[in-house]
Amino acid sequence: MNPKVQKILTSLDRAHSGPVCSVKDWDSRVIPRTTKAVLARHHLEKMCNPAEPINTDDDVADAFYKAGYDLALEIGMLCPDTERIIKAEEREIQQTMKETPDELTLGSGADLVVMKPRRPEDPYPPLVCVSLGLVLSEELWVPVVVGMIQKKHLVDALHGPSLRTVYGYEVRSGTPYETLLGRYEAQLRQEAMFRAGRPGLAQTGIASATTEYGHLGGMPALAGPANSTMSLCPVELKVTFANFHRIVQGINYGNRLRVGGYSFIGGYAGSPEGALILNIATDLLIPTLLASDYTSSYVYDVRVFGNCGRDAVWANSVAIQAVSRNTRFMRNKIVNETAGPCTEMFFYESAVGLMNHCVSGSSKTTQPRSAGGKYQDYLTPLEAWWCGEVFKSCAGMTRKQANEIAKVLIPKYEAQLASPPKGKSVTECFDLNTMRPSAEYQAIYDRVKSELIDLGMPLRW
Amino acid sequence: MEEVLERLANAIIDGEPELAEAAAKEALAAGIPPLEIIERGANRGIQEIGERFSRYDCFLPELILAGDAMNAALPVLLASLSAAEAKSLRLGKVVIATVTGDIHDIGKNIVAALLTVAGFEVFDLGVNVDVKQILRKADEVKADIIALSTLLSTSLPYQKDVVRYLQDSGKRERYFVVVGGGPVAPDWAQQIGADGYGRTAAHAVELCKQLMAQYEPPMREPLVFDYKA
Repeated sequence: MNPKVQKILTSLDRAHSGPVCSVKDWDSRVIPRTTKAVLARHHLEKMCNPAEPINTDDDVADAFYKAGYDLALEIGMLCPDTERIIKAEEREIQQTMKETPDELTLGSGADLVVMKPRRPEDPYPPLVCVSLGLVLSEELWVPVVVGMIQKKHLVDALHGPSLRTVYGYEVRSGTPYETLLGRYEAQLRQEAMFRAGRPGLAQTGIASATTEYGHLGGMPALAGPANSTMSLCPVELKVTFANFHRIVQGINYGNRLRVGGYSFIGGYAGSPEGALILNIATDLLIPTLLASDYTSSYVYDVRVFGNCGRDAVWANSVAIQAVSRNTRFMRNKIVNETAGPCTEMFFYESAVGLMNHCVSGSSKTTQPRSAGGKYQDYLTPLEAWWCGEVFKSCAGMTRKQANEIAKVLIPKYEAQLASPPKGKSVTECFDLNTMRPSAEYQAIYDRVKSELIDLGMPLRW
Repeated sequence: MEEVLERLANAIIDGEPELAEAAAKEALAAGIPPLEIIERGANRGIQEIGERFSRYDCFLPELILAGDAMNAALPVLLASLSAAEAKSLRLGKVVIATVTGDIHDIGKNIVAALLTVAGFEVFDLGVNVDVKQILRKADEVKADIIALSTLLSTSLPYQKDVVRYLQDSGKRERYFVVVGGGPVAPDWAQQIGADGYGRTAAHAVELCKQLMAQYEPPMREPLVFDYKA
């Protein structure tokens, strides 16, 4: 039997036989109380230091790793469908670590790329996938994607914007509209990849799919190990049958498995310290219980609808470094910008977030999330290119250098995190015929880029 | 007398429903007027937890558990009041849900917890909730407000379906319908004929308070609580 199938069957079995726990108890008692207890036991409460947003202390990262490891063993994941806990045994985590490959290839032909586990300050450049599932109008989808992916040196994989309509019809999630949309998006991807001259570009999931129906609709076009299926687990540490469906679909179609799970400051995890040990536990449990080839996870701050504030930057830095220093697990780490296209703030937020994730040891990112993903058509190729420039250029920087730059940049936008500028839509600030930003947008880009180079960010392109 | 009121407040702050209910009963048995118990015991506890939350001194779980404790104590106390007095102590009834196809719960849970803390009676139906189920519950509890959340653009149409169903069934004037969530914006609220939009959980609470205090459904234009431009 395929070892991934064996893992999934074992976890499904535990989902039907593990300790009983209601969702309400899990969210309001088990998660907060266990997290607090583990933090207290490891003397890691009140460790967040917003004045030094990017952690530079290996001992801190290792101490949090130990706490996250204990938490993973103690808590497991909840299956809300059966209201039972799926626990992991220590030997399973250790075995999963041993079996983790040294690298993972994605894409094919001239577009083949290699993802590797990265240590903090690793010189090996991480991979960039574009974009997060920001909604675009149908007529803009292909041109924007062509623009984003045409810069081969900056973009390694396609997830893509999402759609709200299929052939002009409004899509309701979980209905046949969504199943049709899955196939439709896959067709649009093929067209965009052909037009951009990148037919072998690695693809991830179906961006518009909000349930397993959309995934299933698009999967036949994404079969094979060049592409990844995607399954995002609900917070905190939950895995639903819908997640299992997607994982099994991915196995059936021979895909790489990208399985995600997030931890929220201000949510059930509470503090930045709580969110980060839950994030470490997520990074350990997902490959162990859900057979992922790589995880997609990060710490998010629900108080500001993003993760570019000091608390979240710090929490992500520690969480990423902790797992990078102590395992070879590969992880896709996402930055959630809140400002929109054609704003300085977007460039600053993404620069801080991506520099942090890169120097801390992330193997891959999926970007951008322009305007927090709130508005339709607020996504241009320039944000994607910028994210690629920053994320890849920062490979090899030290955490100390990155922290010094972050300390200069964060004050430029942090007061606006609670009310970020919306910016401009793609049609207002980007010419999709010439694939160039407007003069105004280009000027903002040039100004910020020059400023960051002066600060010491080694931007290469 | 002070001691039992203090215990009630602390039971709510600590999120202990059984202790809160017991303290409420004890206070009544001691002859303390129910309105005084609510004001100086229960409300003091819930206000304290609300302030801690706004200062980031506590987080969502504490808020949810405090709401549970408040909901355990309050029926005991309200039963000792006249119907008019009891009604005057509640700001209104809210049925809240994340709509079909969407299992994101955290934003909705924060709004539900803050509404409870603010004094609303909240009926939280959970996530991925069907339109009919929302409307049945609103009808059953005689809700004042239907609050609909989603983080997914392809679940947005279900918010519209709630408003449209109310219109088509001649029940639109019975409820305020308010919307929120990641892809939800004021123009969407306007487009579907919702009564209000709140960007953040705190905005949602202010929205519901103002709707209840000053307006009747349906609104001609949605009342919008958003970031200042």
